Amino acid sequence: MTNSQSAVRISDMDKYYGTFHALKGINLDIAKGEKIVICGPSGSGKSTLIRCINRLEEHQVGSINVLGTELDDNLDNIDEIRRETGMVFQHFNLFPHMTVLENCILAPMLVRKQERHLAERDAMELLTKVKIPEQAEKYPGQLSGGQQQRVAIARALCMKPAIMLFDEPTSALDPEMISEVLDVMVGLAHEGMTMICVTHEMGFARQVADRVIFMDGGEVIEQAPPDQFFDNPQHERTQAFLGQILGH
Amino acid sequence: MLALLKQKSYRDRTLQTLFVGGLAVMLVIFVMTARTNLEAQGMTSGFDFLERATGWGVSFSLIDFSTSDSYLKVIWVGLLNSLFLGVISMSFATIIGIAIGIMRVSGNKMAELIGTIYVEVFRNLPLLLQAFFWYAILTTLPKPRDAYDIGGIAFLSGRGVYLPGLNVSGLSVFLSAIGLVIAFAVWLNLTTSRRFAKMMPKEKTARARSIWLAWGFAACVVMAMGRIPDTPLLNLPYLKGLNFREGIRVSPELLTCIVAISIYGGAYIGEIVRAGFNAVSNGQKEAGFALGLTPWQIFTRIRLPLAIRAVMPMLINQYVWLFKATTIGIAVGFVDFFMVISTSINQSGQTLELIAILMGGFLCINYTMAFALNRVNDAIKLKGTQARG
Repeated sequence: MTNSQSAVRISDMDKYYGTFHALKGINLDIAKGEKIVICGPSGSGKSTLIRCINRLEEHQVGSINVLGTELDDNLDNIDEIRRETGMVFQHFNLFPHMTVLENCILAPMLVRKQERHLAERDAMELLTKVKIPEQAEKYPGQLSGGQQQRVAIARALCMKPAIMLFDEPTSALDPEMISEVLDVMVGLAHEGMTMICVTHEMGFARQVADRVIFMDGGEVIEQAPPDQFFDNPQHERTQAFLGQILGH
Repeated sequence: MLALLKQKSYRDRTLQTLFVGGLAVMLVIFVMTARTNLEAQGMTSGFDFLERATGWGVSFSLIDFSTSDSYLKVIWVGLLNSLFLGVISMSFATIIGIAIGIMRVSGNKMAELIGTIYVEVFRNLPLLLQAFFWYAILTTLPKPRDAYDIGGIAFLSGRGVYLPGLNVSGLSVFLSAIGLVIAFAVWLNLTTSRRFAKMMPKEKTARARSIWLAWGFAACVVMAMGRIPDTPLLNLPYLKGLNFREGIRVSPELLTCIVAISIYGGAYIGEIVRAGFNAVSNGQKEAGFALGLTPWQIFTRIRLPLAIRAVMPMLINQYVWLFKATTIGIAVGFVDFFMVISTSINQSGQTLELIAILMGGFLCINYTMAFALNRVNDAIKLKGTQARG
């Protein structure tokens, strides 16, 4: 039974790398329009978890259901889910041989079969939204890290996804560029996008998250609304983690 | 004075002057010694012999050549033959190399195994040995009367391979080929030059289309004008008596050179292409998957273009190397540049001059090729800094 309000529903999901048990019994129900922040120490499985949602990693046990489509061996289902989820990576992963505009229109033209001029019009709109329309004809290598990450967000949005996955979007950025990327993400959150963010930006979590999830050792340890999560963490591992990242 | 020596700019200039001056003095001494020695042996130097008739013929020529033509012309024949062989075998080597490179990174165990065996066998055997091997095979094919028939239009025999051709003059084919290179250069300029960056993509596509249409039209016109009168357009080989008539005969010598260089070069280019694919970070592939692109789209739009860009400098190096490999023609008796020069030396005795022409010829061709390919590399290479994955 899939709740029609669920964007992502993960039940009893396990993930192994060879014999290494990377994710253990994950249960997660994310409603449409919900903003989730996942945090946890390095190696806790948080990136693996969101990479399982669009099959960049394959899970072995349990089920993942995205917008009513079951993520299984069926290639059509995988394609369907990838069309509906946009992803932003830590290292941007832009296509360096294409201009910013070409990066943005590639997938809409190839996957959604959109006509070029329509794809370009939409792409320019989204580049305006991330505040870099003037860079459309430049190549990724000619932009700063913050600009590249904003292009990456625009590129993902060009596919008009229902869910956005952010995998540590600000971890590779210089400190002064972090806020320009977070601003774009906050704007996106206010528009009602379903967002799942792996990030250590606790200010961002407090400001926009509906729920903060803490992971450690491949398990979900604790999940709570941000106020409760930061001010009154229940689990001692959560307390230790928050003590480390907020303590200085 | 001592203070002057400590000045970097002064010291650099002095060293440069001494170095260039030293080279010039050595060159003058070499030329003078050589001239004295040659005169002492009663040998004439100079390039007058180039006007003399050769008195010997060649077995393969792209232009008309008879025994009464000059040395200059025979050298030209050899040079054209080498270029002809080089262009054909480098094209095949590229196709084979890309295929082998893709097989080795395909993730398909069987394809990887075949690719690995291919590379290890053909890269590790000397080119000369491979040339002898292919020559032995090609010359022991059956006689024309028992030739292998490929669909009635092409035939494999010990006297050569017979292919269908067009009844047009060689000049018109040559002009069309030159036109193709020009069209490609213009197209590359249109798609990569900064000057056209602001152009609407629609107009760009239209212009690109008109470039290729113009070339196609021009090629058809040139070919039509070059039609050999009173013959059908298509020229099919057929067996008459003991041998084939008509069609294009590819001699076992030429075919040996093409096969050997293509297969040998393919192994090297395959390794270069593999290195290129390995240099493309996994992140770009993942971004493609996350956007919903298919593996084939990711391969053609992202991985292949990035791999080619990553290995372009190595490929240029390989092409220069492969062109020099055309000199194996002399081992099986194909009339290439090297063989023409070598025969001319035997016949005319003008060793130094002919060796100079040979070296100058290879230098010019390889430098021109490297220069042109470097321009291509500049045009397509990734813009900006690529510090981040």
